[in-house]
Amino acid sequence: MEIPKSIKLFLTQTGELAKFTGRFFSEAFHPHYEFREFIRQCYIIGYKSLPLLGITGFIMGLVLTMQLRPTLVDYGAESMLPSMISLSVVREIGPVITALIFAGKIGSSIGAELGSMRVTEQIDAMEVSGTNPYRYLVVTRVAATTVMLPLLIILSDAVGLYGGYLGVNIHAITSYKLYMTQAFNVLDFYDVLPAIIKTFFFGFAIGIIGCYKGYYSKKGTEGVGLSANSAVVISSLVIFILDLIAVQITGILGYN
Amino acid sequence: MAKQTISNIKLGAFVTAGLLVLIYSLYTIGKNSSYFGGSFRLRARFHSVNGLMKGNNVRFSGIQAGNVKDISIISDTLIEVTMVIDENTKKFIRKNALVSIGSEGLMGNKVVNIEPNSLPAPLADDNDILLTANKVNLDNMLATLDKTNMNLVVISEDLKETMHKINNSKMLWTILDDTTLSSDIRNTFADLRKAGEHINTMAANLDGIITQTSNGDGTLGLLLKDTATANRLKHAIIQVNNASDEMNAVTTRINNIVTGVQDDLSKRDGIVSNLLRDTAMTNQLRNSLNNIEKGTASFDEDMKALQHNFLLRRYFKKKEKEKKH
Repeated sequence: MEIPKSIKLFLTQTGELAKFTGRFFSEAFHPHYEFREFIRQCYIIGYKSLPLLGITGFIMGLVLTMQLRPTLVDYGAESMLPSMISLSVVREIGPVITALIFAGKIGSSIGAELGSMRVTEQIDAMEVSGTNPYRYLVVTRVAATTVMLPLLIILSDAVGLYGGYLGVNIHAITSYKLYMTQAFNVLDFYDVLPAIIKTFFFGFAIGIIGCYKGYYSKKGTEGVGLSANSAVVISSLVIFILDLIAVQITGILGYN
Repeated sequence: MAKQTISNIKLGAFVTAGLLVLIYSLYTIGKNSSYFGGSFRLRARFHSVNGLMKGNNVRFSGIQAGNVKDISIISDTLIEVTMVIDENTKKFIRKNALVSIGSEGLMGNKVVNIEPNSLPAPLADDNDILLTANKVNLDNMLATLDKTNMNLVVISEDLKETMHKINNSKMLWTILDDTTLSSDIRNTFADLRKAGEHINTMAANLDGIITQTSNGDGTLGLLLKDTATANRLKHAIIQVNNASDEMNAVTTRINNIVTGVQDDLSKRDGIVSNLLRDTAMTNQLRNSLNNIEKGTASFDEDMKALQHNFLLRRYFKKKEKEKKH
């Protein structure tokens, strides 16, 4: 029986990706760490993304507040606005939106960077010179995205909550203290911790998919663009799939 | 190398900021939920907790004082709620405080309310079981509202019927449609006003009379105000009173006599009794009376004989002549 080409391609890629991920774990936990490169990647991936994600988070909080407000006013529950904003930002919208923006910025840049290195045969040169390209290029980047994304999401949530505070104050006057009290009153560890834990997986997925797409980029300039593009598309999709899995796991554990 | 250091510093600042925000938020949440500190526990037993959950807030006189640590079923009618109380609130909760379950707003989360009791009592100890009170809950309120609703239905039905009757009442509509009625009513009111004026005048007159009377003018006033007359009247009344007293004494004496007679009669002795009962004396009396009668008859004869006596004849003739005239 002939398997359709698209399914074949999908299964091949999934298998390759799984092997790639397995290689990451085997390489990452063996000595001779590329610590300096890891720090440099953290700086590029984490620190350099902060302005973009901060602005996104701020606008997210502000717009969410302004969109929620009319409905809550209809129900006479305007005072619940801070609670709703903090719950929705911390639990769902903050992690997912920030991860998507992060995937767009970092996933594509990793894919393009490694793709161009592959195309210009720098990776091959590294192998020849005795440096382990996987360890130097992939492990550092994936570790950096995994560690940096949660931090970025925490800061983005904070900025988003501040945006929500400003949004509340467009129509009504609420003190910062009251807003923060109300926002934190509804939050529990069960709200914050699963949301933060899942962002590690988001970061890991973005890093590993970007690296995989770049590492196995097709030859030619066309291949670089393709790997950058597919890195973003696939990691965005994977973020949603992981989110779905995360919400089900927290549901099963009774932390919803 | 300098560039590398600067970027490292920036990265360090970024990571620190992120971690600080995380720690701050986790600490705030933990403080709200009393995860840190607060080993002081209180218990309360309810028949029903109305959907109370672990982690719900505990309020002391409306102030956040801790949260619900555990809810366990003790028996089929008893549920025990364990609360963790903040350090700064526990020194105000006394053993006789009342615990009830309420809700934050109409649809909000359930909340445990601890209300202080005005009566003195020692401070509550760790793991004490506090008294519980049943507060108004939404279900009961809705049940009452349901009853009210039913009543409203009945009332509105009745109202409908009443309105229907009013609408169908020809008499009422005739009255309402009657154009002359309003003028009649107006006239009636005018008459009433006149009558009122008359009454007013009368009242004024009466007022005048009363004023005169109180001043001592007129007969009534004299009667009321003249002290001499009043004294005389008083004197007369006193005399009447004395007379009646004397009469009373006389009556008493008569009464005594009659009582004496009655006693005599009942005892069959004494004069009266003998008078009434002695048959011999009665016969004697009768004989005496007969003798007297006979005596009188003889006397009459004697007198007639005397008339014819020559000595006295002239006198009797003279008398007869006077009679004829």
